[in-house]
Amino acid sequence: MNHAAIRLPLAVVEGIHLAGLVEEFTDVLTSVGEEPDPGLTRLTPDPYPEDADASAEFAAATHDDLLDRRAADAAVVRTGLSPFLTTAAEDLAEDEALAPRDVVIAASDIDAWLRTLTALRLVIATRLDITSDDDEHDLEDPRFGVYDWLGFRLDGLIALADAHDELPS
Amino acid sequence: MGMSTPMATPDLGEVTDLEAAPLEPWQVNVWNDPVNLMSYVARVFRTYFGYSAERATTLMLAVHNDGHAVVATGPRETMEVHAQAMHDYGLWATVRKAPQ
Repeated sequence: MNHAAIRLPLAVVEGIHLAGLVEEFTDVLTSVGEEPDPGLTRLTPDPYPEDADASAEFAAATHDDLLDRRAADAAVVRTGLSPFLTTAAEDLAEDEALAPRDVVIAASDIDAWLRTLTALRLVIATRLDITSDDDEHDLEDPRFGVYDWLGFRLDGLIALADAHDELPS
Repeated sequence: MGMSTPMATPDLGEVTDLEAAPLEPWQVNVWNDPVNLMSYVARVFRTYFGYSAERATTLMLAVHNDGHAVVATGPRETMEVHAQAMHDYGLWATVRKAPQ
């Protein structure tokens, strides 16, 4: 395994925005008990769609641990983004907001990043009711912009991670 | 492996119990969804299962084109562990008995 860190370039304002989304996501993860967020259902799929008893048994044994692992992944991402949070987005001049800055991701944290960006997209997709490959994006809805932006950044991170795996350690 | 002493005689009474619970293979299926990126699904198959990049890509394309693919086969408990891992990665995985 290659132990070098990955450097993901983000504009300062992107890092701030992403940290905000991860914060909201962490709130969703801990909303259990109040009214579970529908986005969580997609994060905890039913492994036995034709066997309710087996599904219930699986969920009882795994559901809380799975959400705990997601929260731990999200905490890794929040920590990685903390250097972006020195100034509130509205206090930044435009050139400061758009200035590129690298997020340094340790090799051992790559999966936590990939899983968290993926989970954010899954939750947003649930809210946007994206259910098939053919669903059209409503360009008037800014959430589609967020969804597509996350997809773009995730795709870039996957390419960096794949290239990272091919380098000698 | 050299064997200088004979093995202990197995207790046949225990062995016959296996017939009561035959080891039927189970499967993990991963289903297509419109959210997960193809590059991501292939990467998860490669890094989690240790499949070659080629095999991982073939499986990813099967998920994408056929709607689902069997990504692992084995004992039920192991398949449940794999399904949990797939859920951790945000993939839509189910477990079922392998069709006979």
